[in-house]
Amino acid sequence: MSRVIKVAQMQLINKWTFMGIPMVILVGSTAITFAIWALLPASAREGTLYSGSGQAVMWYFLALGIQSLTYTFPFSQAMSVSRRTFYLGTLGLFAVFALGYAVLYYLLGLLEQATGGWGFNGQIFALDWIAENNGAIQILFYFVAMVLLFMIGFWAATVYMRWKATGLLIAGIGFAVLVLGLVGLATLNNAWPQVGAWFAGMQVLGLSIVLGCLCVVLAGGSYLTLRRATA
Amino acid sequence: MNNAPAPAIEVRNLRKSYRELDALDGVSLTLEAGRIYGLLGRNGAGKTTLMSILTGQGFPSSGEALIFGHSPYENDEILAKICFIRESQKYPDDFNARQAFKAAALFFANWDQDLADRLVTDFALPMKRSIKKLSRGQLSAVGVIIGMAARAEVTFFDEPYLGLDAVARQIFYDRLLEDFALYPRTIVLSSHLIDEIANLLEHVVVIDKGRIMLDEDAESLRGSAVAVTGSREKVDSFINGHQVLHRDSMGSLASVTIKARLGETERAMAAELGLELSAVPLQQLVVRTTMAGLQNDNNESVEVLK
Amino acid sequence: MAAIDDSRPIFIQIAELVESEIVAGTLAEESQVPSTNEFAAYYRINPATAAKGVNLLVERGILYKKRGIGMFVATGAREKLMANRRSAFQKQYVQPLAREARKLGINAEQLAGMIHESLTTEASEGSVL
Repeated sequence: MSRVIKVAQMQLINKWTFMGIPMVILVGSTAITFAIWALLPASAREGTLYSGSGQAVMWYFLALGIQSLTYTFPFSQAMSVSRRTFYLGTLGLFAVFALGYAVLYYLLGLLEQATGGWGFNGQIFALDWIAENNGAIQILFYFVAMVLLFMIGFWAATVYMRWKATGLLIAGIGFAVLVLGLVGLATLNNAWPQVGAWFAGMQVLGLSIVLGCLCVVLAGGSYLTLRRATA
Repeated sequence: MNNAPAPAIEVRNLRKSYRELDALDGVSLTLEAGRIYGLLGRNGAGKTTLMSILTGQGFPSSGEALIFGHSPYENDEILAKICFIRESQKYPDDFNARQAFKAAALFFANWDQDLADRLVTDFALPMKRSIKKLSRGQLSAVGVIIGMAARAEVTFFDEPYLGLDAVARQIFYDRLLEDFALYPRTIVLSSHLIDEIANLLEHVVVIDKGRIMLDEDAESLRGSAVAVTGSREKVDSFINGHQVLHRDSMGSLASVTIKARLGETERAMAAELGLELSAVPLQQLVVRTTMAGLQNDNNESVEVLK
Repeated sequence: MAAIDDSRPIFIQIAELVESEIVAGTLAEESQVPSTNEFAAYYRINPATAAKGVNLLVERGILYKKRGIGMFVATGAREKLMANRRSAFQKQYVQPLAREARKLGINAEQLAGMIHESLTTEASEGSVL
């Protein structure tokens, strides 16, 4: 157990990667959004302003997933850390981290609503379809979304480490085949209306659960891949 | 924990096959705790593969590799006793040496920061420069420092001197001996240079093409061969019945290396015949014994140091 | 630094080096000899090998161990070593000398003359020093 925590400490030795950069992105992207809103002509400012800049940090988490494996896994081997311990320490650290950011997003959402959309009637964090849920669900959603992106990066990097480009290619093709297969299935069965209805009916909670399941699958896949990977 | 002392390292019939070659072809070894071993062999002989498997980093195709009687693979308790820095070790891209040592201090319970600091000074290692910007020698120094200061019960050094100049290499050997004397532990020095480290070794394991060619105490190897030089006929009659390791001839002169410890009578006889007997250094002995038939490409190691 | 080479067992070389120092008087009887680790560090050899060399001399009664303190030169060690060396002298030095002399056609009388001459120069050089 203590070695798991040490893996987390190791990932944090360079604080910039986990702590600094996401904050910079969050503050930076929000500031840019404000600047753009401020520059908009009055006519364009009527009604609600939406921005996707809240996603910026999430995409960084995808890169972070890749980095925390490719940069640190080979080194962790030299530190005599088992693959399991590396995995638990790294994922555990990110989970704590993602939870913190999820809560932060929720709080920023509250602030956004309290300040009348930052004085611009804007929406960055408290997007209507999320903000209409209770706090726990909002936090869950952000958390799951962040973990999902991290896991995608982490697993892709693990696949690359174990099977190199060929592995990544096959995994990519496999994923494409799966998606096309589902699309084909829906088309052949004229099932698109039902599919549309299913998506439309799915609330944030439902979506969180579906994405959460996907996270679990990716996490399991990552572990199984990493267990036999060589740095 | 049992008290029956399992050997520090035990390898049973280890095989590792890649598509085109057998990196390890049925290796069996037992290395006792508290000694300095030399794992010698040419580049690509299987040294790193063996050490990777012994540290749970690589996977064998078949066979067993045990550290203190247990498989190291995914075994944190055993892994905590091992330190293996690869010759081509990768470090996090954004790390400098100081950060690498900070990480090592987390994981190696016996980590000695004072020793690390001293070695940093010895090697004049820049601590704040990103590791990926270090020279080959400085990169080796980072690995050597981690391997030494970790004081792990079983420590592997993988061609630790690459890129280090003669002074830095000597510092490494001196500090290693010094620290080993104070904190005896099992040390495996993997190397394709034999001369330089020969005197440090208690036991020599030579590997070639994935097979163990020699596994003997260094002391019993020293002086176990002799080169006989003189006129060909006399040399031939003298060496009759001995195992010939190597033969050079030039005109009517021959110089033959035989595996033998000569007694006084034999020495006297050689003298009577006008034959010259000369000692064979470990490096040559290893080369002669194991790589017979191959070009002697270890000449590069014959560096004058002392 | 005295030369240690790896062409014959190092522990024997270590034992011989210590013996030579005792014979030369550098290491006096009842004086302490360096520790195994000091030998190892000085000659850059494995400590276990150095210990083996020292132990060889203990077995031969040249050195003895004072528990917790270290190794010391035994009383009478020098005389013992000198006696050994004297008995080995003929085999080790005189026989090869005679053999070489015969090869070169130097007869016994000439050889004796040369030896005599060397002994006197050696002695006079020694006295200057």
